[in-house]
Amino acid sequence: MKDLSVYIHIPFCERKCNYCAFVSYCLSEEKQNEYIDKLIFEIKSFAKNDKNIKERVVKTIYFGGGTPSLLSIQNFHKIFKAINDNFKLSQNTEITIEVNPNSVDVEKLLEYKKLGINRVSVGVQSLSSRTLKQIGRLHDKKTALNSIKLISQYFDNISADLIIGLQGEKNITKYAKKLIKLKVKHISCYMLEIHENTKMLNLVNEKKYKPLSDDMVVKAYTKLSKFLTKNGFLQYEISNFAQKGYESKHNLTYWTFKDYVGFGVSAHSYIDGVRYENASNLKDYYLGKRLSEPKSEKTEIEERIMLGLRCYEGVSIKKLKDLGYNILENENCKAFLQKGILRKENGKLFLEPSYYVVSDYIIEHLI
Amino acid sequence: MNDRLKYIRNFCIIAHIDHGKSTLADRLIELTGTVSKRDMQDQILDSMELEREKGITIKLAPTRLIYEYEGNEYTLNLIDTPGHVDFTYEVSRSLAACEGALLLVDASQGVEAQTLANTYLALDNNLETVPVINKIDLPSARPEEVKKEIEDVIGLDAEDCPCISAKDGTNVQDVLKAIIEKIPAPVGDENAKLKCLIFDSHYDNFKGAICLIRVFDGKVKKGDKILMMQTQKVFEVTEVGIFVPNTKEVDVLSAGDVGYLAGSIKTIADVKVGDTITSAENPIEKPLEGYKEVQPVVFCGIFPVDGAKYGELKDALDKLKLNDASLQFSPENSSALGYGFRCGFLGLLHLEIITERLEREFNLDIITTAPSVSYNVYKTNGDMLEISNPSNLPPAVEIDRIEEPMVKVNVFTPPEYVGSIMDLCQEKRGVYKNMVYLDKRRVELNYDLPLGEIIYDFFDSLKSRTHGYASFDYEFKDYERADLVRVDILLNGEKCDALSMIVHKDKAYTRGRELAERLKKIIPRQLFEVPIQACIGNKIIARETISALRKDVLAKCYGGDISRKRKLLEKQKEGKKRMRKIGSVEIPSEAFMSILKLDDENK
Repeated sequence: MKDLSVYIHIPFCERKCNYCAFVSYCLSEEKQNEYIDKLIFEIKSFAKNDKNIKERVVKTIYFGGGTPSLLSIQNFHKIFKAINDNFKLSQNTEITIEVNPNSVDVEKLLEYKKLGINRVSVGVQSLSSRTLKQIGRLHDKKTALNSIKLISQYFDNISADLIIGLQGEKNITKYAKKLIKLKVKHISCYMLEIHENTKMLNLVNEKKYKPLSDDMVVKAYTKLSKFLTKNGFLQYEISNFAQKGYESKHNLTYWTFKDYVGFGVSAHSYIDGVRYENASNLKDYYLGKRLSEPKSEKTEIEERIMLGLRCYEGVSIKKLKDLGYNILENENCKAFLQKGILRKENGKLFLEPSYYVVSDYIIEHLI
Repeated sequence: MNDRLKYIRNFCIIAHIDHGKSTLADRLIELTGTVSKRDMQDQILDSMELEREKGITIKLAPTRLIYEYEGNEYTLNLIDTPGHVDFTYEVSRSLAACEGALLLVDASQGVEAQTLANTYLALDNNLETVPVINKIDLPSARPEEVKKEIEDVIGLDAEDCPCISAKDGTNVQDVLKAIIEKIPAPVGDENAKLKCLIFDSHYDNFKGAICLIRVFDGKVKKGDKILMMQTQKVFEVTEVGIFVPNTKEVDVLSAGDVGYLAGSIKTIADVKVGDTITSAENPIEKPLEGYKEVQPVVFCGIFPVDGAKYGELKDALDKLKLNDASLQFSPENSSALGYGFRCGFLGLLHLEIITERLEREFNLDIITTAPSVSYNVYKTNGDMLEISNPSNLPPAVEIDRIEEPMVKVNVFTPPEYVGSIMDLCQEKRGVYKNMVYLDKRRVELNYDLPLGEIIYDFFDSLKSRTHGYASFDYEFKDYERADLVRVDILLNGEKCDALSMIVHKDKAYTRGRELAERLKKIIPRQLFEVPIQACIGNKIIARETISALRKDVLAKCYGGDISRKRKLLEKQKEGKKRMRKIGSVEIPSEAFMSILKLDDENK
């Protein structure tokens, strides 16, 4: 049997957030239907062409966006039908949907449950109404808290996203406290990255928006990780914290070299060692354009180090050796081990969590 | 006079940088139909990409122009000259090949330091100097005032000098007329023994070293045996020719002509600019005057970023040297930078040109250390060492005295900046010599300054303190005793030899502190705190600390887009390749050079 994870990209938004660099559009219902048709076509053709399809068992499904909660129920049904028709699902497939606090209601939640969705990831980002307005979110603090309360009536496995580094947000630990009280089981906290072609970059350049300094970000992050760790959360990846058993299985597939297929515009796949990337604009996506990056030992070595050191799981020294790289002979690696930045245990290398904030520096010196 | 000579004019154009020399040369070439309009491109004589980009002439490029005037056909040989102080000797030799010079002056800028320096060179060579005022199309042009300036400052008659715009072609005909009427025809005897001046050379992969020559007496043709009088080497001429402006072979070059000569000369070192060529069978007794052995005055270390490319760097330097006899280099080993070369240059511009060519034409990533001059170090045991690499300076106890090169500096400035220039020269340990008010708008200041201070940041400081209005020029004076010490830099307690510098004792503290401050800005944060110390011997004179890296993480691995993150890391790692490791500290390669440049205030 071969495990497979499925990612489905729903590129619709009511409006674009100031910091967002994802592929998303404000589309009419008609255009949404057109997109879903193409998406279903892609699902079918993948199943038809994949030589291992008979052995595959889908372990996780993830609806990401954009704002998947904007998708009509009919379209959800179509997608689920396509998946069920073409793939074998396991008994306990983890099925996640990303939602925005302002776009969920009881009916939708009930439908999601019926469809088999069992994990909800809420784009909270902040619990300050002022901040939320500043970054162009459509919800406020109250909406966020209420929506989580509502979701928790129907779902047990709830995750919330927070952003570290927004203007004035020196203390986000207090948000985490509130979220835990509301029985959120998983928290992803991403450090703000300001990308090209975003409103936020313009605002920053015009000095109208001032993100936190690096030092403040590190402080906020360190405080948050300490708090969550103390409160029974495991930091299983740099940005991800979960109570025991609530780690995102879907995200773990990305980091542990298991096969995943992404459907939709700009979606990424990793199938039998080859990475694929769908076209990142609708026109090219509809033409079926995608890029692929063939398997290479060099890239796998780099990816294993990069992903392994960012995770609680660590990186296997033997796996690297099998790929032709004896990392223990690397001078930098020796120095890092000696200084206690890296830890060697049971044939694996781990990055000490206190060095997560400089992990890129460490990784660059090892690849 | 020989009829043939009557219709020849040999001339060059001298001007301050940016006064439009190459543009005028272009117009003359165009006007005389030497190059068809179709093949015309801007600044045709500046053949190197770098020359066009920097707007400067580096190599000399002669061109033969044919012009009909009052029913007679004239041969006008234009020798384009480099206008920069680094190449003064080359300029003086190309002037020696001419009978006259056009002195090109910008109608709004007026006379500048270099204008004056080059005019003196022309006068030294007994050249008929014809002033030409350029850029009259500019709204700020003030030709009448500039004429007066030329008369007052230089002492040339500018009454009826051509006022032109080389850019749009206005009055350029007048220049041709002036060349023919004012510049004397060459004199010489084509039946006398051969006497030629080499005023430049370059290297051709097929023909070997090519001599650019002016024939004073006699004739030279293919098959002749010639003698280089300085090197005493004999060659057989394989080709003679002229430039139109590309090379064109001719049967013979005779007295009065300008052209080139090839002779299967394998190394450019055999062709010395300023040398005299004569017949090997029937030589003249005395060579032409004015020959000088060219000495480098500015030195720096050049190292490959990737240590494995040492061989490639050597090949590249060998190739550049083929064309540039003034470039000197010898192997050098640095504990910080590995194997490389100590290179000697004619000046800072020459240094910049060579390093840029290494990077562009040879695709090499190089690290250059801060430029230095050559010091004469007298040891207590009586030995004298020439030290151009600060890390080779012997311990203080073994040194009796150190002498540094001094230069005579000539600054031209509007009067309002005199005070701040004097301050600057004072700061640079200058000795005041003279000051002349040339007119209401312009003052000439003369100072003696240590060359080591000039190459530090004199030019940038001068430009910034005078908003670009001052110009300066210098020439070597002599070696003088000075109280000099070596300042070393310790990074995390380890000495970095490539950052050592020799400075005057009174300035050691300031420079040590400045350098430490600059390094703090340039060196990126590392995982641990890095102390930077400046010291003289064992005495610490300044200290700065680079605090530890706080944040270097991309928190998000987007929906399975692993490649993006990997590529980002690879890119960052690529950037790190230009880093050098001193002990456990990583230093960007630019640091070794940029530390001696003034901080940009806008940064």
